[in-house]
Amino acid sequence: MSEKEDAPKEIVGYRQQPGKLPFSRPGSGGKGKFSEATDQEMIPESQGGKLAQEWGPHRHDELISGRVIGKSTSLVDSSWKVTGQAHYGDDVRLPGELIGRIVRSPHHYARVLSIDCTKALELPGVVAIATGDDAKNKFGVLPVTKDEHAMAVEKVRHAGDLVACVAAIDEATAREAERLIQVEYELIDPIHDMRKGLEDSEEPIHDRGDYHIGESNVQKRVFQEFGDIEGMIENSVASHKKNWIFAGVNHAFTEPHAVVAHWDPTGRLTLYTPQQVPHYVHRALADVLEIPMHQINVHRTFVGGGFGGKSDPFPHEMCAAILARKSGKPVRITFDREEVYWVNRGRHPSRIEMNLHADDEGRICGIETDALIDGGAFASFGHVTTYYNGVLHTAPYEIGAFHYTGARVWTNKPASGAMRGHGAVNSRCAVEVGLDDLAEKLSVDPISLRLANLLPPHSATITGFRVTSIGMRECLERVREESGWNKKFRKLPLGKGIGIGCGFFISGSGLPIHWDPNKFPHATVHLKIDMDGGVTIHTGAADIGQGSDTVVAQSVAEVLGLPLDMIRVKSRDSDTSPVDLGSYSSRVTFMNANAAISAAMQIREELLDATVEITGAERSGLVIGDRRIFLKEDPAVGVSYLEALHKSQEDRGALVASGAYRTPPMGKMHKGAAAGLAPAYSFSAYVTEVSVDVETGQIKVDKVWAAHDCGKALNPLAVKGQIIGSCHMGMGQVLSEEMRYGRSGNLMNPDLLDYKIPSIHEMPEVIPIIVESNDPEGPFGAKEAGEGPLLPILPSVCNAVYDAIGIRTSELPMSPEKVHKMIEKRCRMEGVSDPNNLTSPSLQHSSLQGVLENRAKEHGKRDKDRRLDEGRSDYHNGALFGLDPTIPPDEVDPRWSVRVTPEEEYLESPRLAGSAWKHTERRHAEGQE
Amino acid sequence: MRMPPFRVLSPKSLDEALTMSRELSESGEEFDWVAGGTDLLPNYKWHINVKGHVISLSCIAELREISEESIGAMVSINELAEHESTHPVLAKAADSIASVMIRRSGTVGGNICLDTRCYWINQSETWRESIDWCHKCDCGTGADCRVIPNQNTLCVATYQADLAPVLMCLGATIHLASPKGKRSMPLCDFFKLDGMTRNVLELGEMVTHITLPEDASDWSGDYQKLRQRESWDFPEAGVAVLWKGDEGYGPSSLRVATTGLESIPSLHSEEAEGALENWSGVETVEILSESIRKAVKPVQNTWFSPSYRRKMVKVLTKRACRELLVS
Repeated sequence: MSEKEDAPKEIVGYRQQPGKLPFSRPGSGGKGKFSEATDQEMIPESQGGKLAQEWGPHRHDELISGRVIGKSTSLVDSSWKVTGQAHYGDDVRLPGELIGRIVRSPHHYARVLSIDCTKALELPGVVAIATGDDAKNKFGVLPVTKDEHAMAVEKVRHAGDLVACVAAIDEATAREAERLIQVEYELIDPIHDMRKGLEDSEEPIHDRGDYHIGESNVQKRVFQEFGDIEGMIENSVASHKKNWIFAGVNHAFTEPHAVVAHWDPTGRLTLYTPQQVPHYVHRALADVLEIPMHQINVHRTFVGGGFGGKSDPFPHEMCAAILARKSGKPVRITFDREEVYWVNRGRHPSRIEMNLHADDEGRICGIETDALIDGGAFASFGHVTTYYNGVLHTAPYEIGAFHYTGARVWTNKPASGAMRGHGAVNSRCAVEVGLDDLAEKLSVDPISLRLANLLPPHSATITGFRVTSIGMRECLERVREESGWNKKFRKLPLGKGIGIGCGFFISGSGLPIHWDPNKFPHATVHLKIDMDGGVTIHTGAADIGQGSDTVVAQSVAEVLGLPLDMIRVKSRDSDTSPVDLGSYSSRVTFMNANAAISAAMQIREELLDATVEITGAERSGLVIGDRRIFLKEDPAVGVSYLEALHKSQEDRGALVASGAYRTPPMGKMHKGAAAGLAPAYSFSAYVTEVSVDVETGQIKVDKVWAAHDCGKALNPLAVKGQIIGSCHMGMGQVLSEEMRYGRSGNLMNPDLLDYKIPSIHEMPEVIPIIVESNDPEGPFGAKEAGEGPLLPILPSVCNAVYDAIGIRTSELPMSPEKVHKMIEKRCRMEGVSDPNNLTSPSLQHSSLQGVLENRAKEHGKRDKDRRLDEGRSDYHNGALFGLDPTIPPDEVDPRWSVRVTPEEEYLESPRLAGSAWKHTERRHAEGQE
Repeated sequence: MRMPPFRVLSPKSLDEALTMSRELSESGEEFDWVAGGTDLLPNYKWHINVKGHVISLSCIAELREISEESIGAMVSINELAEHESTHPVLAKAADSIASVMIRRSGTVGGNICLDTRCYWINQSETWRESIDWCHKCDCGTGADCRVIPNQNTLCVATYQADLAPVLMCLGATIHLASPKGKRSMPLCDFFKLDGMTRNVLELGEMVTHITLPEDASDWSGDYQKLRQRESWDFPEAGVAVLWKGDEGYGPSSLRVATTGLESIPSLHSEEAEGALENWSGVETVEILSESIRKAVKPVQNTWFSPSYRRKMVKVLTKRACRELLVS
């Protein structure tokens, strides 16, 4: 009995009366017992804090709790990765899985006459085989150009194209079966040279019916003229002209493609795949498998690098699903490295003619670009790429005229597609090298030339893009300052050089491909908070290593004043995630974080309401700090986050909110006006120092000062990582990476030994410089930082090489071999036998230099005023040339009219890509028959 | 990537290894020796000349011995590079091979016996099928050479290993063993022209060690190589220049050897002797470099073009002679 008396008197466990459980307070909810004082250094001036705001206030300022935004934060999924527990595509293991292998065409172009699977089916262990007959519906990433099949229907279009697939109990059996499948082909003459693609062909690689362009292999053509085209040549005092050849490059991510497909007992399909665009895969699967979308769950695994190379719905994903359906078992397909090259979607091999003109005031009075891009065998993103090669270099400079002809052709190569810096990289390189040459011809400093020709903030480009924040000037000024440019440029000894290059890129594509942006949002984020206080974020944004989970977690944590460990991001399954378009066109931070903020704001309102109810405090005086809501003027008056949360939950349970983002209406009305439209644009300027070995032509990049305007660095650590990574990737393209096709038309280097990614030895010291131009529409002012930083490295290396040895390349990669040839040529021309005796370029400023410096100074003031003045008037490209800045010039000046189809006169002697316009679309040609 | 199945044998001594070799040969079975595996196994993954049996030499202690005069075939390249008694030029060459991870696995014997390489063979089986095979990779298919078409007698795959030219210049002797017995020869005589045969090794024969002459340490010199990247890449050209007895009157002996240019490494005795005869410093080096450029005949089957590689041989030779001119 005495033992019973000693027992605790309080009743514990479920018997306790509900509602009497003590929640610890204040500061309850997180790991730390007490909430931390708000760090005033993180609170913007506009809210009475100490964070200086040179670029003015922002609409999200009042949401800043000083927790995580702007602080270097390791990615929320990093511990999974560094401990090896992250599951990538090939790590998914389902019980009873089969291994799938793909039978590929050894021919570049052929008709498939027959496929005999008899022997393979007889092999013990082979469970299912599928061919093109099993899935005849077409798919493709863009709804306008669906031209892919799961496996060849009628024709194979490149060596490595899919013909059949097999599922077996293990890899060895699957590989053996692969050999036993007999395919009979009838060869068709292949096309390897993109120039050939412009001509009529007996057997075009695709047939687009009425919309086919002549009988050619032209998949897409663009013609655009803006501005004073006639005046361009008339007014020019210096011109630059160059014909470029860019080799194709591959993303070369670490993780090869891998996919697992599983039809569960209820008849639903789950596809496990490392994808950048799960939603597009979702749609394509429904099309190909002929089942409703709700019967499919796309599960995005961890992605071992994407860079655009995992942003198409892929045929092998269809194959896995088809095999799994046929066999009734999960099927896993993992690529070998060469299969990665065969599916490719890398940067287009291109031939670009770039002409630039400058007038006597050092203004860029015209840009003429002609870009022929080699699309390989399928359309992929190519429709967009064709536009991007032109329209993405209409900024950051104010220009007098813009002429662009672009064409994308099919050839019998693995398909090109989107790759980091989509469509902008090659032509940007050509423009920036051209500007360097113009500066040389005008005897002015190339940075001064750029600074005197920039569009101001809140302006419209010549093609009508609405540009909001611009940090270009600050980027240029900072790299000039920090690199010691004025002491080095044209003053370094032979073999040492310094060069400048700039970049401009979209921060999200304005058009959501599959639907009307006025009807549906671009991004949606759901939040759920239950009694534990942790916030669950549901988002469809695909974290591909760039840190999208982290950014969305940071945004919510900031608004609600929570530590990051109270946030969990569920972004993997289409079953639970709201639709998101995916990780491409650098849209995720801008769009998804905006959606997240909008959802978090709804929760915030509810917490503030609850606080008012508990404390009776004035609502307008409340602020959110670390896990606590209190009166700004009297912090003692307030409640803990959990108290407010539980108050809000009364009578209803878990809080939920849904936030969305859509772009504002933008842009002009001409054909193609939507291509290149973005709610904001990023800007960057790099200065690069190189050493060139004049005897061998080998280039070593020594140091890069890399300034990027990302609006606001939500996570400076991640931004710096993107800048350094971009330098590495861009350096590969400029110095050594290329998809090299041999004389047989085969890709000679589909492996990571001969596809030359720079090693750690080649990597220079990179000094990332973050410029924060505080974009008015960006989340907390942020813009993209994932792709734009790649653009400037290419031209800055090219220009530095010129500074070092006086040669200008027109071909990338600039391999030692090519550089050596150019050095030899220069030696011959100058009668120098030893390249060590060459002179390095020098510069004597002309009188124009002073004009440019003065204009740059004036414009600097103009830009500062514009960015702070809420009542600023419109500014349209053309003002620099004396036109009224407030009216689009094409509306008032007939010389500035917009043209999107060529006139007869142009077609008499078109440029290379422009010659695609010689063909007539079949639907228009028919009338003549 | 998946290797076809094969049986691995792991002998504990040289004698045991040779017995296994004899037994396999007698039963008509084909096999490969494997040392570090950094060359053989990637080729197996590509299904290039795969054998049913592999004899691993990794458990044979006697092949791992290293001293100033003798280097065992199973000494790792990394150990050679870091060993105190290694000749400095040999150490430099060793230290420049591939990457540090590969150097830790790769061995001296393996490097000397490195298989020749060519764009048209070092590819996957599907890839090779798409070019209708090549003379080397798929012997027996009757396929033509893809580098120099219309001849299917000679394989022109390139020998891309770094140690051989330095060892040749140092006057190294290579020691071989087979079930039939042991034999030794100057390293220069070990290599045999043709990208397929590569060297004099007979069926079942292996390299046991390398010995260096007593005067090896009297030689000074340099090794220079050409490649796209400072890591991983095989040499696109390599030049070793070693000399002796420089007392301000030029060298008394001079040797030059090249690699990465043809199917075997070459010692350029004639050119070196020519230079010695009328030694006059800078001019002689210029003439010597030019003669080495003329002496090599690379073909189009590696990353850089043959013409560039030849031009660079001249630059590399000059650079390898730099120390010679300074002293």
